[in-house]
Amino acid sequence: MDDHTGSPELFMFLASTVHDMKNSISVLGGTLENLLDQAKPETHSGPEYPQMAHMLYQTRRLSDNLMQLLALYKEVGKPTYPFEPNTVPVQELVQQVASQARVLLESKGIVLEVEYPADLLWTFDEDLVIGVLAHAVNNAVRYTRDRIRLTIGERDGMLELTVADNGMGFPPSMLEAGTMVGQGVNFLTNSSGLGLFFASEVARMHRHRQLTGAIRLENAGPLGGGRFVLTLP
Amino acid sequence: MSTTYVTAAGAPTSESANIEWSEKRYLIVDDFVGIRQLLRESLRNIGAKHIDQASSGGEAMTLLLRTHYDVVLCDFNLGEGKNGQQVLEEARVRNLMIPSSVWLMVSAEKSVESVMGAAEHQPDAYIIKPITEGVLLTRLNRVWHKKQVFREIDAAYIEKDYLRAARLCDAQVAQHKVHEIDLMRMKATLLLKAGEPDKARTVYERLLEEREFNWARTGLGKIRMANGDHEAARQMFQGVIGENRFYIDAYDQLATSLTLLGRHDDACGVLEKAAKLSPNSVQRQRSLGNTALRIGNIPLAEHAFRKCLAIGEYSINKTVDAFFGMARVCGQKNDIKEALRLLAAAQRDFPGELVKLRAKITEGLVYHESGDFRRARKSGDELEALLGQEKKRPQTATCIEMATLLFAVGVKDAPAELLCHVVRNNHDNPVLVDEVQAIFDKARLGDEGAAMIAEARREASEMMNKGVLLWKTGKLVEAVEWMREARVRLPDNMRILFNSAQMLINHMQLHGYDEALMVEANGVLMHVDDLSPGQQRFAQLVEQLQMLIPGRAQTPEAVDADLEALRGEAPAEA
Repeated sequence: MDDHTGSPELFMFLASTVHDMKNSISVLGGTLENLLDQAKPETHSGPEYPQMAHMLYQTRRLSDNLMQLLALYKEVGKPTYPFEPNTVPVQELVQQVASQARVLLESKGIVLEVEYPADLLWTFDEDLVIGVLAHAVNNAVRYTRDRIRLTIGERDGMLELTVADNGMGFPPSMLEAGTMVGQGVNFLTNSSGLGLFFASEVARMHRHRQLTGAIRLENAGPLGGGRFVLTLP
Repeated sequence: MSTTYVTAAGAPTSESANIEWSEKRYLIVDDFVGIRQLLRESLRNIGAKHIDQASSGGEAMTLLLRTHYDVVLCDFNLGEGKNGQQVLEEARVRNLMIPSSVWLMVSAEKSVESVMGAAEHQPDAYIIKPITEGVLLTRLNRVWHKKQVFREIDAAYIEKDYLRAARLCDAQVAQHKVHEIDLMRMKATLLLKAGEPDKARTVYERLLEEREFNWARTGLGKIRMANGDHEAARQMFQGVIGENRFYIDAYDQLATSLTLLGRHDDACGVLEKAAKLSPNSVQRQRSLGNTALRIGNIPLAEHAFRKCLAIGEYSINKTVDAFFGMARVCGQKNDIKEALRLLAAAQRDFPGELVKLRAKITEGLVYHESGDFRRARKSGDELEALLGQEKKRPQTATCIEMATLLFAVGVKDAPAELLCHVVRNNHDNPVLVDEVQAIFDKARLGDEGAAMIAEARREASEMMNKGVLLWKTGKLVEAVEWMREARVRLPDNMRILFNSAQMLINHMQLHGYDEALMVEANGVLMHVDDLSPGQQRFAQLVEQLQMLIPGRAQTPEAVDADLEALRGEAPAEA
């Protein structure tokens, strides 16, 4: 097929390099998590612990960016992308997102609150949605004071997934980026734009009857800080 | 009702759903040592004690040969050598995996393979890196649960009791909403196998109201195609490909619809594209080879048959057709020596009289097409002698091919006898009867042929009518005996076979279960299924037969009771 206009050799080379980079970042993140898990903050009063926590945060950002770039390169949102909706218990979605964030949040002293209907099932591409939510949680780590709340529920026939924090709220530039992306404008001028753009592409791929998924950013969320909202049909 | 959890850790941990993951045997396959260590850590954290590791496909095969693993975590991309999919296929083909074992394919990115529906062997799930414990445990639990839900359905499927399996799907949906889509997809497949396309269509249409599933749309296309509406089917497959360029099944179906429309060049082009997207399918390469051969594209046919031979080596779908196709290609290139070598290899790898016969036919065709009419005639004579020794006749397509060759090289009686055999076994198929008449015409035996065809048809319908008459007049024992003889004379006649099975079942319904009759009826039905799968009457008779087995549920209510018992059972250990 003529999906990749560049030479196939170059594509193979890039693909295997990316594979390698992902392995390295996985190992880096995993090792940091193990170290942090073993070294509880109360036993370490020195600067090493918060520094390791920050390293993990940065590793996560790197990992997220790579995952998003890869998905965008493979044209998420286009017919060539392997989109695969499945029926997933919302509870299992929450478990997976929370477990990904656990060590980072613990090391930063942040509490994650989750709220969801225990028996709700929904149909979506699980890997893509986990990617969006995990990124939103990592993003909230930057803005929050000490609490992040993941809320999932059904609202007007849509699944509403919210990540809120108790920080100062998003800066105006982020909110503007959110509005633009929400209106379908590609906003790729800064790094936070990448995450938003990825999230909006994932949302748009989810269609059901006449409805389409969407994202938005707001301030004055339930915890007083910023709030990221993903809705899926 | 919402549940709120507030903990430092964040959320409820995944329940292990009563599965002792700590007692299972694990195999990690990854070429990157850091990832192996990371995965081992994760597995230890969920309690695993028995963990083996392999750094390549070859190493994995060595370990798989030694131990039955309960869980295999295998990276798709293993560097040099076999990739993860090939390791999986070889492990399944060589029977190294037990049905309850779980194969999780790990990849760095969302893999196209997961949605292609192309591979003959699918892993139980795909997981994307980085793998975290929460994701791993959630997916393991889900796969395990799904295997439980499908256990009884799979068992009924293997028994070819498609209608019972379809009812089990409905029963399971009520219990396990989360697997509804998979169960409904399975149900539609079962209904198609049971020759119930209208009911299958209803299932697909209901699913499509919910969401545009590629496989459901393709399923509708297949039903259209089976009903003879080839153009509508073609448009549906084309539409699916437009929506998802990687859904490979749609390409294969599109090629079939184009062939049925007589557009062989287009079919060949579509198969070529599909083979580029997913080259490791024996069946696809075989179709491509045969289609290319048909339109005279010898280089393409050669490429396809070569590939077919290479991948067939480790596949359960290894096919003798690839040897014959490749021999024909060699004949067209005037490489008789290589063609004969391939025919010898075919007979070595696939023992049996029928393969010997087909090899002899192909040999004759190779000589004939390369212009060596003297040797072609010699093959024809040998074929005639073979037919004299062996009473069993091959399937219809081979008979017709053989008769055509024999007429071409100048043999008269043997091909006429073969064609009469074809007509006797398909006496109510006018399209085929016309085709046979055309072969007689081409051999300048039109009038003799017409008389022979009429005689063969008369003989078949008389045998059938007499059996039915005995049955209808209450002489069931005589009817059963008569149909036994009819089956010897007309071994591949579907109506004779179906009626014979029906009478055997009827005998047991009236006079009680009988082991010998059971085996006989089952044999007749399995032969029918070999000849022409997906017959409605087949599914109905298999169901009636299964109900006769002592202790087997007789009514839908009893089936439900069985299910209740099943749910109460403790999950089976491997």
